[in-house]
Amino acid sequence: MTDHISEAVSWCLAVALLVVLVLLIRQRQITAGVRRRNATLEDSLRSRDEEVQHLVDVRLPSIADALSQPGPLPGLRDEKLAGTAFAQSLHAVMEQFTRAVDRAQARADASAKAALKASMRAVQGLANEQQVSISEMQERHDNPDVLRDLLEIDHANAQFGRRAQAIAVLCGSWPGRQRLASSLTDVVRGSKSRIRDYQRVQVHSLIDVAVVSRAVEPVVLAVAELLDNAARHSQPNTSVEVSLQPVHNGACIVVDDAGVGMDGLEVQRAAALLSGQRAVDVSRLGDPPQFGFAVVGLLAARYGFSVSVDTRSPYGGVRAVLFLPTELLTHVDSDGRPGTAAQDPEDAEPLHTLPSRRMRAPRRAAQQTQAAPQQARIPHQAQPQVPHQAHAQVPHQARPSAPEPAPAPTPQPSSADGEATQVYGTTVGGLPKRRRREAAAAPPSADWTAGAGAAGAAEPDTGAYRARSAEETASRMGAFARGTRSGRSATQDSAPHHDEGNRQA
Amino acid sequence: MSPGRRERGLVRPYVVTDGRAYPTRNTFDLVTLVMAHPDRPLPGLSPEKRRVMELCLGGALSVAEVAGYLELPVSVTKVLLGDLVDSGHISTRAPIPPAELPEVQLLQEVLDGLRARL
Repeated sequence: MTDHISEAVSWCLAVALLVVLVLLIRQRQITAGVRRRNATLEDSLRSRDEEVQHLVDVRLPSIADALSQPGPLPGLRDEKLAGTAFAQSLHAVMEQFTRAVDRAQARADASAKAALKASMRAVQGLANEQQVSISEMQERHDNPDVLRDLLEIDHANAQFGRRAQAIAVLCGSWPGRQRLASSLTDVVRGSKSRIRDYQRVQVHSLIDVAVVSRAVEPVVLAVAELLDNAARHSQPNTSVEVSLQPVHNGACIVVDDAGVGMDGLEVQRAAALLSGQRAVDVSRLGDPPQFGFAVVGLLAARYGFSVSVDTRSPYGGVRAVLFLPTELLTHVDSDGRPGTAAQDPEDAEPLHTLPSRRMRAPRRAAQQTQAAPQQARIPHQAQPQVPHQAHAQVPHQARPSAPEPAPAPTPQPSSADGEATQVYGTTVGGLPKRRRREAAAAPPSADWTAGAGAAGAAEPDTGAYRARSAEETASRMGAFARGTRSGRSATQDSAPHHDEGNRQA
Repeated sequence: MSPGRRERGLVRPYVVTDGRAYPTRNTFDLVTLVMAHPDRPLPGLSPEKRRVMELCLGGALSVAEVAGYLELPVSVTKVLLGDLVDSGHISTRAPIPPAELPEVQLLQEVLDGLRARL
């Protein structure tokens, strides 16, 4: 009996033990699972923490940096998080941040540009005003010492004006000056006027083509920037060669320097700027700011010419080529009127229309003979009476270049000289103007306004002369001599002051 | 080659003279007459010098007139003319001497004298 009992107990024990064992094993497994899960969750939590830290430390600053140097933005630190809701939220944060930065940047840029533009326009206006005064001074003073100083000031002023203009253009302003259509040669020489080392710039191959009025100033500014770059990046003893080449559908201005050249990266950067596609950020042009290519690119995109700097110059430096399409080109006839380019150069050669407006030589003559007080007074007189007054008052020491008064009572020279010397109205200063020879070519120019007197207005404003034959010249010289003789004899028995005026044929 | 009426102020005078302010000779007056020699070659001249030649081939012109037509200051024109004289493209002639003409001052004095007498 006891055996039975003990057997039963031991069976029970064994079963219980087994159960406990099974339970133990299961418990162990469950614990291990929980621990694993715990560890995973901990890992994931840590990685999210780290991810947020990464966002703050690396990814967000990189957005701010990307404004200056665009590049790929860094992604998630832990790739396991990709696709999760957490990663999406992070992405949303990034996007919002990017938008905010862009907006702030755009606002800052716009206000910087507006401020710069306004101030540069003011500076530009001052530079232009100063240029006008310098030009007037150059005309007023005849002394080479004064001229030398004025030329220096003029040069500095031109560079100063160009700088202001370039910055204004970069800030979205227009180049400013409206100019007449000008020959390509003058355009390049105009650019040459605006850089420091203009004496190193050699312009070759003058071609007979002009730039249309609206493109003159932008092309001048763009070429000036190219020339400045070329001169700045080459030795002071080398020259910058400019050649003008007509090409199939336009013309090219080729600027070669013998400088250091550019490496691949620089060429790439320059090409990007010159394409004018990317908006230029004024606050990120480097220190010192390098706006040359940026300005050229902007102007090129706006006015439809193109510039490339990716060729090497045969002199070792950079070759910059500015291509002007046919739309920006025209011909300038001898009147300065663009577009009527019908004449051949051969035909045009002997026929030259002289500018009828603003003949300033007589005015200068008056200014420079201020020793004669009567003459100095003349410009202030009323216009139509001027010839008589001038005639009555100018002593005959007056420079003979002071032109012939119109209704002057000196018939002998006029008749002897034929139509060669006639008076054409008056200058702004009030002195009569004369025309060298009557010709039947050009119609009166539209802007002939300079206070034409009655006599001058009655005459057709024909402004051309031709090269004379030897016989013609001889007969003119004879007529001139006869005229002078008879004029002198007439002078001696009438008034003493009938003989001024330089009456050359 | 060079348009008759040019844009003023585009090409500055220092570019025209290549930075020089002093004429190579000091023989120019406002009224000095300038005559071009038609047989001299034009290529190689700057546009302004070419224009001086074109102007003066039509007959003698005074320095003041050349400056007026070029729309350049007289002093700058003198630098150009000096170069052209040196290269033999133009020659100059003094204007008709005013000494041959009776002096206004003298006549005035005579007149005053006569008035004082009579």
